[in-house]
Amino acid sequence: MLTEERTITERNERAIRNRRAISVLQWVLAIAVTVVAFFPIYWMLITSVKSQEEVLLLQPTFWPKEFHFENYANVMHKVKFAKYYVNTVIMTAGILVCQIITGVFAAYGFSKGQFKGKNALFMVVLGALMIPLQVTFIPIYVMFAHWHLTDTYLGLILPEAVSPYYIFMLRQTFMSIDDSYIDAARIDGVGKVGIITRILVPMCRSTLFTVTLVTFTSGWNSYFWPKIIAKEESHRVLTVGLAKLRDTFAGQGTMNNHEIMAGAVMAILPVVILFFVFQKYMLSGYSKAAMK
Amino acid sequence: MTKKGIKPRTLDHLQDFGCTIPALILILMFTYFPILKLIQISFTNWNLLNDHYDYVGLKNWKWLFTGSGRKYLVNSLKVTFLYSAGELTITLFGGLVLALIFNTMHKGFSALRAIVFMPKYVAMSSAAVIFLWILNTDNGVLNYFITRLGGRRVDWLGQSSTAMISILMLTGWRAIGYGMIVYLAAIRSIPKDYYEAADLDGASYWTKLRGITLPMLSPTTLFLFVTTFISSMKVFQSVDVMTGGGPNRSTEVFVYQIYSYAMEDFRMDRASVMALAFFILLLVITASTMKLSNGRVNYDT
Repeated sequence: MLTEERTITERNERAIRNRRAISVLQWVLAIAVTVVAFFPIYWMLITSVKSQEEVLLLQPTFWPKEFHFENYANVMHKVKFAKYYVNTVIMTAGILVCQIITGVFAAYGFSKGQFKGKNALFMVVLGALMIPLQVTFIPIYVMFAHWHLTDTYLGLILPEAVSPYYIFMLRQTFMSIDDSYIDAARIDGVGKVGIITRILVPMCRSTLFTVTLVTFTSGWNSYFWPKIIAKEESHRVLTVGLAKLRDTFAGQGTMNNHEIMAGAVMAILPVVILFFVFQKYMLSGYSKAAMK
Repeated sequence: MTKKGIKPRTLDHLQDFGCTIPALILILMFTYFPILKLIQISFTNWNLLNDHYDYVGLKNWKWLFTGSGRKYLVNSLKVTFLYSAGELTITLFGGLVLALIFNTMHKGFSALRAIVFMPKYVAMSSAAVIFLWILNTDNGVLNYFITRLGGRRVDWLGQSSTAMISILMLTGWRAIGYGMIVYLAAIRSIPKDYYEAADLDGASYWTKLRGITLPMLSPTTLFLFVTTFISSMKVFQSVDVMTGGGPNRSTEVFVYQIYSYAMEDFRMDRASVMALAFFILLLVITASTMKLSNGRVNYDT
């Protein structure tokens, strides 16, 4: 009896010791991973305030000797960075507005609406998820060139004006709303638009917000289509402008990495701020999609 | 008004249908119609420099599969699948390992977790210029670390053997936190009593991992596999910014090749055939991954 008890306590002690060892190991690994993951961001920030001589040192410094915030102003002067910013804002805003309007209405039609061929048409929407812009860009480019839409805001926005993903996610949420709310509103004489804007949208606002955040970041960070359709500087967006900075500063052997990094900081600022403010929504957006 | 002849019920249905029309028109115009147009262009000899084009039958298709285009098609297939394999490994295996490391309710971990996930929100073009700078041969900080450890400077982007590794470093940095977050959410949803029951039997950490955690995560793994596989096939931006497909076509992925046929060589005919081949490839991959997954995943919760 006694020996058995002893072995049990011994086993417990060993388990506790093991668990503690695992948790210490976890902390060490977690911190190591975080340091590696954060390093490129740190390096960008640090480089963006170094002087040119310091950037060109063969022995890199891990804290700048002096802070040169004028690098940021220099980028603004040397290329039309402010213009890129405005273009990106207009393009992203346009995409957002269009996707929200087309998405909310279509999601209503495909969830609460009743009409012949509803399911078949919804399959048409879902099928579009399998046809990326990387396949279809050639005819769209030709079409837009024909319509004189190259180097215009409309040209940047139009192919992204509707998102099957947005419709799909919203439809799922709208379907979870009980029909009785809609019936009650209808009896009160609320019209279709009222039902959508005053009942469905407010009731689903957290999903709507999450999905819209995803749309915003993908719009802000989009590169492929803007690169194709906007060749002139007048409609260039940040992502393309940033990638071109290297060419502006003499290609591979550029000496201006401090200024390029300053540009990179400015380009990602809005999205990173959003990420920290709405972290919860952004993380749940991804896990929600994964759970489907 | 015109309403007179129509029953209110029919009008109601028409309105519901009307709600979907703007989205449907845009989808038809910018997704389905271009596919038809692509098929048409693929039978012509159209390049953007001429207004005029003729129908040439299967010439472009022959060029791609049996002619001089074949070599480059095979190359870009190889490069793309190599990239995919890399991204899949990092997202699935790396993401899972990180999720296991970060799987603790402790407050401090959530701040670290957010930092690991953050690169996903750093726009690819910013991330790419950061990595160009880190990987710089003479002044790059990575080569500095390597020389400090006694190694020799590596020309990361200038040689075929390391160009793809460089691109995968960039991809991995942005993707691994995403894999982690998705796995973490799934690990959290595994019922606690499974582990409690295993604890009573005195199961070790590894037994529980193999016997409970991994099987319960199989739907998540499948989700990540399918979505990552398909999105990795479409890789373009990192290649465009970092290597431009080179050196010696060692990073010339599928989309990059379509892009350069169309926007650099102005060969719309060849680019269209390539784009259609890519579309078919995507369909095959989607269909086969879906089929493969049926019945092989543990949905038991």
